Amino acid sequence: MPRATEIERLYDKHAQPLFAFLLNFTRDEADTRDLLQEIFVKLAREPKLLVGVREERAFLIRLAHNAAIDLIRRRGTCERTKENFTAEAISIFAPANDPDEKVFREELAIALGELPEEQRAVVHLKLWGEMTFEEIAAALDIPPNTAASRYRYALDKLRGRLRPLYEEMKKAE
Amino acid sequence: MMNDETENFEQKLRRQSLRQIPGEWRAEILAAAEGAKGCRHSSPVARHWLSTLNHQLSTFFWPHPKAWAGLAAVWIFIFALNFSMRDKTALVAEKVLPPSPEVVAELRQQKLLFAELIGSRDAGDADRSKSYVPRPRSERVEVLTA
Repeated sequence: MPRATEIERLYDKHAQPLFAFLLNFTRDEADTRDLLQEIFVKLAREPKLLVGVREERAFLIRLAHNAAIDLIRRRGTCERTKENFTAEAISIFAPANDPDEKVFREELAIALGELPEEQRAVVHLKLWGEMTFEEIAAALDIPPNTAASRYRYALDKLRGRLRPLYEEMKKAE
Repeated sequence: MMNDETENFEQKLRRQSLRQIPGEWRAEILAAAEGAKGCRHSSPVARHWLSTLNHQLSTFFWPHPKAWAGLAAVWIFIFALNFSMRDKTALVAEKVLPPSPEVVAELRQQKLLFAELIGSRDAGDADRSKSYVPRPRSERVEVLTA
């Protein structure tokens, strides 16, 4: 049974990647906070959840993903419209000092927001979660081939969307 | 060439550093988690079971909610159609109930009258059934020559 210290350990180890994943998935900071709290409250209430779990990160990502999907379902279509509207404003990236990098991050954040949620989740875990397709598949409860194909589709879309900016930056380098 | 370009693009994306989680969240979230430990629900097993069932159903129905709604509408239409057809069958059944004795007597009288009009010797023949009774060939010839 995890004590307060165990919850603290879990938070310190996993809260940052969970935050980034949820923020990219929900595109809303308040929702991300609520979901993050929901996950840690659940872990505190049901300490047995982590018994026998080999990959804590993958397990927590799965919890986070399920919680985020439940939240989106609860909202319905009207709220989703609002969500799409705010998707353009939210950024999952840290502020950049370099103006070109700043523009690139802004465009990348918008392009990510335009991806379907399931593709966005895979891209995030592959690029910034540093997970393999097998780990992503286990975390999102999908076959590894599906994870790989979602990643390829999403990457093609991102490249198509950001190509002009990316090539311009390459030339400048 | 294409793979190199893809890899370069992937590397470029990977290098983008992500936002940091707000520091003040830690104390708030851990306090909420700590508070939740003390006030567990009375029946966590039942809650867990219901939550699992809800999740399973949601997962099952979620991918194509419109398709499921359409299917449900088709079934409702089929049930409605079936119900209305059943009503009509009942009405038809009521209509073909056996006639009353008065009607039977009236019909019999009309038959007799008709038999008299066409000059039949035995009005009772009209009531006889027209069932075919096979006879030997010899008898048939007798009938023809009679």
